[in-house]
Formats: sequence, C-alpha cells, structure tokens
Amino acid sequence: MKGKKGPLLFFIAPFGLLFAAFYLAPIGYAIKQSLYKIERQGTFGKAQEVFGGLEQYTRVFSDGPFWESIGRVLLFGIVQVPVMLGVALALALLLDSGLVKGKAFFRLAFFVPYAVPGVVAAIMWGFLYSPNLSPFTALTGNVDLLSADFVLWSMANVVTWIYVGYNMLIIYSSLLAIPQEVYEAARMDGAGALRTAWAIKIPLVMPAIVLTTVFSIIGTLQLLAEPAVFRTFSSAVTSTYTPNLTVYSTSSIPNFNLAAAFSVVLALATCLLSFGFLKLTQRGADK
Amino acid sequence: MRPPMRSLSILLTSALAVTLAACSSGSDDSTDEATGGAASCAPASGNVELTYTTWIPGIEDVVKLWNDKNPNIQVKVQTGPNGNGGTYANFFNQLKAGNAPDLGHIEYDALPSFRVQDGLTNLASCSEVTAAKDQFVDWTWGQVTFGEENSVYGIPQDTGPMALFYRKDLFEKNNIPVPTTWEEYAAAAEKVKTAGGYITNFSQSDISQFAGLSWQAGGRWFSNDGSKWTVNFQDDNTKKVADYWQDLISKKLVSSVPPWTTEWDNAYNKGNAWTWVSAVWGANSIMSGAPDTSGKWAVAPMPQWTAGGTSAGNWGGSSTAVFKSSKHPYEAAKFALWLNTSEEALTALNKAAQLYPATKAGATLPALTEGVEFYGGQKIYEVFATASTQVAADFAWGPTMTDTYASASDGFKAVVSGTGTLNDALKTAQEKTVATLKSQSIPVAE
Repeated sequence: MKGKKGPLLFFIAPFGLLFAAFYLAPIGYAIKQSLYKIERQGTFGKAQEVFGGLEQYTRVFSDGPFWESIGRVLLFGIVQVPVMLGVALALALLLDSGLVKGKAFFRLAFFVPYAVPGVVAAIMWGFLYSPNLSPFTALTGNVDLLSADFVLWSMANVVTWIYVGYNMLIIYSSLLAIPQEVYEAARMDGAGALRTAWAIKIPLVMPAIVLTTVFSIIGTLQLLAEPAVFRTFSSAVTSTYTPNLTVYSTSSIPNFNLAAAFSVVLALATCLLSFGFLKLTQRGADK
Repeated sequence: MRPPMRSLSILLTSALAVTLAACSSGSDDSTDEATGGAASCAPASGNVELTYTTWIPGIEDVVKLWNDKNPNIQVKVQTGPNGNGGTYANFFNQLKAGNAPDLGHIEYDALPSFRVQDGLTNLASCSEVTAAKDQFVDWTWGQVTFGEENSVYGIPQDTGPMALFYRKDLFEKNNIPVPTTWEEYAAAAEKVKTAGGYITNFSQSDISQFAGLSWQAGGRWFSNDGSKWTVNFQDDNTKKVADYWQDLISKKLVSSVPPWTTEWDNAYNKGNAWTWVSAVWGANSIMSGAPDTSGKWAVAPMPQWTAGGTSAGNWGGSSTAVFKSSKHPYEAAKFALWLNTSEEALTALNKAAQLYPATKAGATLPALTEGVEFYGGQKIYEVFATASTQVAADFAWGPTMTDTYASASDGFKAVVSGTGTLNDALKTAQEKTVATLKSQSIPVAE
C-alpha cells in the first residue's frame, strides 16, 4: 500500500494544485466577498470591508431586474435548447445514415461556426440584423430583428448557429460508438433506416443528448457575449438583460461584494437546474 | 459516460459564473493612508520607471518625446479600450489587486468614482501642480479638484466644449436658417423632416451627450456638501431638456440609431441626419465616420435656451491621474504636467488624436487656428475656443457614474422603443443611483 501512494500523488498533484488554485480558491474568494459589505464615513470617506452576513443576498433576492433576467434566459432555454439539439441530432443522424456523400466535408462544415469566436459571431450577426446595413433589406426593412419583440430570438439564432455543430459532433461520435452487431440484428428483424434511427440510434445516444442538454442549460443561464455585443446594436438589450450581464454591470460600478453574491446565486441556480434535469432523466431511465 | 463523471463536469462548468467575479485577488490593506490628506510629493533618489495606461491612439510617439529627453524618468505606455469600454473596469480590478499603473487616463465624469474607491493620489502637495492651476481653463480645474481646497486628483488633459455641427449644403439648399436657439432648432427639425431627413440622431445609449445638454441648460445632477451627496436628475432645467427632446422623439423628428455603431456612421454618411450637437472631438468622428460628406459641414455655436444667450455644454474630456499605489507621485505628476501643458506634447497629442487641450494657451496652438478642409475651410476650432469659455464651472459628477449611465441608458433605450418618457427614465435612473450609493454605504440625501 505504501508503495502505491507515491505515484498516485505524483499523478494527481498537478491537477489537484491547478484545480485548487484556479477553481476552488476563486470560488471560496467569491463566497467570502459576497458575505462582506462596504462601510465608509463622509462622501469620499475611505472604504472599509466589514462582515455583512447575508446583506448582499437580501439585495440579490429583492432585485427585480435580476429575477426578470433569469426568467428571460429560462424562456430562451426552453425554446432554444430543444431546437438546437433537435437540429444537431438530425444532422448527426444524417451524417451517420450513409445517405450523405462527402461526410468529412459536412462534418467539418457543420462544426466551423463553433471555431468562430463568440464575440465575432455576435458582431457579424449584429450587422446582418441591422436595418440599414443588412444585405437582406427585404427582411430587415419590414421586421426590426433587433426590437424588443425579436431580439431574444435573434440572439437564440446566433447561439444555435454557433453550437449546433459542436453538439452534433458529440452526438455523432456517440453514434459511431454503437457496435455494428446491433445494426445487423436490427436489419435481420427487418428494420429500415428510419426505424433503426428511431428505435436503436436515438435511445442508444440518449446519454449524449442528456449531456449536451446539461451543457446547453448551463450555457443558457450564463449568456454573456451575445447580449453584451447586442447591447450596442439594439435598444432592447439593457444592462441587466441576462444574469451574467447583471454580474458584469455590478462589478464595473464597482460593487464587488454584490457582484459576488449575484454570481454565487447564479451558480447555485445553474447547479440546481442541471442536477434537476439529470435527476429527471435518470428517473426515466430506471423505469 | 457514467453519472459520477457527468456530475463532475457539471460542477466544473456550472460555477464559471463564480470565477468571473473572483478574478481579483485581495490585498485590501494596500491603502492605509487616510483620504483627504495629500500624499507627500518628494523626488526619488534614483532612476524611476513609470507605467501609464491610456486609450489615446498614437500615444506611443508622444511619450517617446518625453522618454528621449528624460533618461531618469522613463514612462512605459499600456493602451486599452476606452474607459467605460473596459479600461475603468481594469483599473478598479487593478486597484483592488494592488497592481494599478502609476498613471491612468480618467475622464472627468469618472474621477469621483475613482476617488470614492480611494484610488487616486491627491497631488495638492506637489507645488508644481498647484502652481499650474492658472494655466488651465477654469472649469477643468474645478473638475479635478471637486471645488475643494487642498485637493487635486488629476491633471486636466482635454475638454469637449460643445457646438452645432450642421450640413451647410443641405441647410442652404432647403433655405433653412441655421438655428441659434433651441426653439429655432425644433422649427428647423420640422423643415428637415419635410425635406426627407432627420435633424439629428438622438443618442439613446450614450448619456454623456444628454448630460452635456443639461449642463448647458443649467441642470446640476450631483452635489456634495461634505457629509452627503444629493442626486437630482429632476431639477427644472434638466426636465426642460428632457421634455424638449421627448417632444422631438414623439414627433419622430429625430432618428434613434444606436450611437457609435457602423449604422450610426452610415446615417451621417448617407445624409440622413443633418446636424449633431457634439463636442470638439466630434469633428474627428464625422471625418472618420462620414467621409463622403467632406466639405459639406460647418460648425455654429450651440443653440441657446434664450435668444442671445451665451452658454455652452461640455461632453467628455479627460484628465491624467496618479493612482494611489504609485510609489513616485512626484515624477508621475511631473510627466502628467508635461503631457498636458507643454506645447510640444499638446501639439503631438492634437496631431495624433485631435485632443483639444484643457490649457488656456492650448487654444492658440497653430493646428487649432487653421481652417479645416473637411469643414469647407472653416476655422472651426475658434467656435469651440469660444464655447470653452462659456462652460459653467460648477457641474459635478456622481461617484458611481458607470451605474448612473447604465440605468439612464436602459430607460432612454426603452423610450426610443416607444415605452415611457425621458423624464420617467431620468426619475428611475435617479432612484437607482441612490440605491447604488446606499449599497456602497456612500451617504446620500433622500
């Protein structure tokens, strides 16, 4: 036993150290910050950080715009995540079906948008949406895609465009892992391509779909780049449009303590939703 | 993938939000000196290297002039995005982490925010600094001293006195007289609309323009009696300005393209917007944003609230401040004074970035007394030199302007989308500002 601990430690230490330094320590620091508040004397008095208990959290829970923004991203997620994953699944099945020629090309082509940095993608789409700059004036001249009614879905389109290929790839690689014998058995039983997709492939890649869903829920709650960029283009995107934008605005006041409290609450909400979703799907699997 | 692994990856990813707010590391005790007392201002014994962060384009060449002549005080420049675009956020983080540069570029409206965070060195004990007072345009000195004795929190750098840029060709062609009062401006707006244009574009998300308009009208948003702040975006003068623009917006006489976007440039380049009430640096914005309109613009004094009035607003303008953590305030102040008062530096700054100097002598720089081709050869800077003397000295900024601008801009954006009025937006912005001050324990009158 003694001889085994040395090598184990040797291999775990690099990860453990980095994990502690860049993950656990910042979280701990954020939680600590969220429990403090500022006190000062006079209009330009020196600020002092004193323990404030849950004071920042009472602010967070009574902050209307913050909870409104949580509601907004939830609505976004309920619509955008199924659409995006539906398309990703369809593309993955198509690539896997043998109907498509030039598989390698399409696999790369679907994935390319993910290689475009999120901010650049948002700026690019912002131009496409702008009424006077868009090459599609027939559309943008009649429908203001950046107005309050549409801007959330305009952003959903950008997010979908970026991440469809990424999610497709995860699902596709999971499809490739399905043993050929299963297909053979299905063929023997007389299943066609559609039947195989529906009854064999989709159930077998369910874990990958669940995983991508969880990633997407997390990504949705943490939307930042798209609304931050669209803020300059659109009069409908406010400084508290998404929860992460609120965190950003608060920390640039600067009010680090309140920003930390917002972040902790947002992280907890994200955990809750992700684990909630996992629990739900696992219960389904047990039946 | 097995469930336990999955849970781990969720844990990893889901707490990204937490790390975002935790980028700064804590050394909260780096600022133990009491505020109010000016820092000592003694020269260092050996060679000094200073760091200076700014977003002035071409600043490297200007600083090189200094470095070549001052081997003992070498300045290293770092550049970044403009203040509210990210550099202020960096400064605040650096101050918290204790690694701020020696000198920083801070606009007048952001100085109180940095002072309230205890980030600035009071340069009042540097005799060279206090001696330079009379070189600066009066109101700029008020901005860096907050109107207090024994306090200087930055060296004025440039200013943004406002005037009216207008499309001379279109006004002449349509027989519209150049407005001298706001009443005439509104009347002109109707005629411009008939001719198929908009008189101007209302700046929905850059509140500083509205602040400049209120400044001219006599609105005073913040005051500070030493024991508490007063926040007031609802005084009669500010209301007057808000109602005036609300009227133009409601009648659809102004466009509302988001400012500082390509679309906005396009509106001016294509001749959709005919005037812009803007600051002196706006001359450069039009030149770069609307190159096709060269030779068609002219500059007139800002419209007045009473016929024959002589008051101007100010939009923008910056100072060079020394951060509290600097170990060499004497050398830093010396460099900042050279940068913002010497003729060679001011000429170079004007050449590199069209900065309009905050010094009285600056108005007579050769580059600022010549005609400008883009404006049909008009000596436009003379209009701004006059405007600069007409800016009221007692306009003060609040200590959380980033937040105030964000709240007001959220409201203004809603207005141009058809919800509420500018006055409602200002009222909400005032309430939010008071709440933000309270959350920072900054004393504020209700």
